[in-house]
Amino acid sequence: MKIFVCIKSVPDTAATIKLSGESSFEDSDCKFVINPYDEYGIEEAVTLVEKNGGEVVVITAGRASADGALRSAMAIGANRAIHVKTEEQFLDSSFTAKVLKAAIERDGMPDIIFTGKNSVDTEGFQTPYRLAAELGFPVVNEISKLKINGDKAVAEREIGGGDREVLEISLPAVIGVTKGLNEPRYPKFPDIMKAKKKPVNLITISDLGIDELFSKSRLVKLESAPERSGAKMIQGSVEAQVKELIRILKEDEKVL
Amino acid sequence: MNKKYDAIIIGAGVIGCPIAYELCKMGYKTLNVDKNPDAGEGSTAGSCAIVRAHYSTADGVAMAYEGFKYWLDWENYLDHVKDEKGLAKYMNTGSLLLKSEGHDWKKVKKNYDEVGVKYEEWDNEKIKQMIPPIDLHKFWPVTRPEDPKFYDEPTEMLEGGIFCPEGGYMNDPALSAHNIMRATEAKGGQFIFNAEVVSIRSENGRVVGITLKDGTQIDSPIVVNVGGPHSFKVNKMAEGVWEGCNIKTKALRHEVMYCPSPDDYDYLNKGYHMSDGDIACYSRPEVGNTFLIGSEDPKCDPQEWVDPDEFYAGKGGPGRDNQLTEAQWKAQCYRWAKRIPTLPVPNQPKGVVDLYDCSDDWIPIYDKSDLNGFYMAVGTSGNQYKNAPVVGRMMAELINACERQGLEHDKTPFQFKYQYTGRVMNVGFFSRKRAINKNSSFSVNG
Repeated sequence: MKIFVCIKSVPDTAATIKLSGESSFEDSDCKFVINPYDEYGIEEAVTLVEKNGGEVVVITAGRASADGALRSAMAIGANRAIHVKTEEQFLDSSFTAKVLKAAIERDGMPDIIFTGKNSVDTEGFQTPYRLAAELGFPVVNEISKLKINGDKAVAEREIGGGDREVLEISLPAVIGVTKGLNEPRYPKFPDIMKAKKKPVNLITISDLGIDELFSKSRLVKLESAPERSGAKMIQGSVEAQVKELIRILKEDEKVL
Repeated sequence: MNKKYDAIIIGAGVIGCPIAYELCKMGYKTLNVDKNPDAGEGSTAGSCAIVRAHYSTADGVAMAYEGFKYWLDWENYLDHVKDEKGLAKYMNTGSLLLKSEGHDWKKVKKNYDEVGVKYEEWDNEKIKQMIPPIDLHKFWPVTRPEDPKFYDEPTEMLEGGIFCPEGGYMNDPALSAHNIMRATEAKGGQFIFNAEVVSIRSENGRVVGITLKDGTQIDSPIVVNVGGPHSFKVNKMAEGVWEGCNIKTKALRHEVMYCPSPDDYDYLNKGYHMSDGDIACYSRPEVGNTFLIGSEDPKCDPQEWVDPDEFYAGKGGPGRDNQLTEAQWKAQCYRWAKRIPTLPVPNQPKGVVDLYDCSDDWIPIYDKSDLNGFYMAVGTSGNQYKNAPVVGRMMAELINACERQGLEHDKTPFQFKYQYTGRVMNVGFFSRKRAINKNSSFSVNG
């Protein structure tokens, strides 16, 4: 069984992001982690391979700093990694999907491709679908329960209101995963040491026959979220408080 | 008319609250002011709240050992006050100091003997029996994961440790300060929160009161600086105080990490507080069966001195704000993973970043100042949580001796008698005028 897991190196959601220029941020000191949803995919892939044999290949497209995320994935148990090195801070998901497709085809077709349901930085929810379209594979997303039966998979997803949708799909397929699927294991120090020595195949987009970066969308501007101002306590009787609140909403905040 | 108090205490953390508590018991009408929303919500909340006796000086050991008695008898200390949030709990795990080149453990042992601290010497076999997942190889000297030497295979073994059965930790440091606040209120003390002091007023060489950010003036002939990491800013507000200190304080950024315990080890219920100078880390159990891993400031680690206001606002920038850094996460977790080789190290870092109010020699300043009526309990350097109730009593007696009995503490230092151990402490040891104490470990170990 050969399983690919597509991962993304993203800023830790707790990190303080400092913007630089119109549409980028300073990333030299920023703390990066594996996109948390991708960890469910890595855990699922490693568990399947432990049970059935085969190999887990993690793949990413991104800057040199994404190596840290690949090493973390291999510390969880992935066997090797492919890093398509790019210089851009943000990649358009149509471009990412093309790059991933080319790199996966070049390496040899898998039985399953896992992705996280989305990435926590851009939250585009695009890459799994676009990758599947490029490859001509079926795709399911937000999967929190999965069973593999030969060349079929039975996947479950929550569709709101406590209801679950059960889907049967033929393999190979792209499967986007989310919380609840498993508990990603924590690597131990010896695993981290072993991961340092596992192979990372570093390639460029021209190695994949892609001549230049293209995008269907363009990042125009990044802005910091406005700072939260302190809470304001309204004093007085209930009637006076309500009156004052309505006045604030109408006159000061202009939301009514 | 300005409100008047006998004493104003700036800060309502785990040191500010017991000072007020003890002054109230002596009949002073006190007010604690704090810029945070509740007691213990400043750097107290980020404390590991470890209660251990090993210090590099006999006086340090004696004070910590005296403190044990308060924590072990918490309800009595609080005079059985009710706190709607419940009472903090002393987790009496015992405390293990591994013998290593990173600690002057021979001095600690001598200090234990001098003070009468109960302890046992454990050899490696005994340690292994008590802590099954431990690896007792010697990893000295301390290095960082960026250094290839970090990964050298160890060949020698450590030589056992010193176990102190009365050690442990308080399970909720912020709550412990809150408990003391409620006990203080029961004795008549008052507290105001979300109140930032912007000036300290004085007339004719004597403090007369404080002014808050909203313009409120409050008067008192006694003001005590217990501002934690903000202490140097508060000292600078009071006329001549900063200039009159030979030992200064500043805010040092510190990170503490959480790693889960290995599956087959119940660290929460069966583990000990451990100090490990060989890898410059300490740890204690935390809820969820996790290791809480702190650093003992090895020389190879960078020190970040920061502005406390920028830090708490999250504005200092990476490595200077209140978010964990990847480099330090790896340094502390990987070091501890050498000691506990089956330690799981999550890919997504979790921990606490807070500030030490650090003095030049990592020994606190418990003293009067060059401004009459202005006192300070500052420079706690990450190692005074355990002493808080003792410091409360000592500061209150010092203030009372100076204010009501005419003691000239700078000339004839106040002698404080410990209630439980009976030992007498020369409070001049903590003087702002002292030369740097060369006996100090110059680290969180104190």
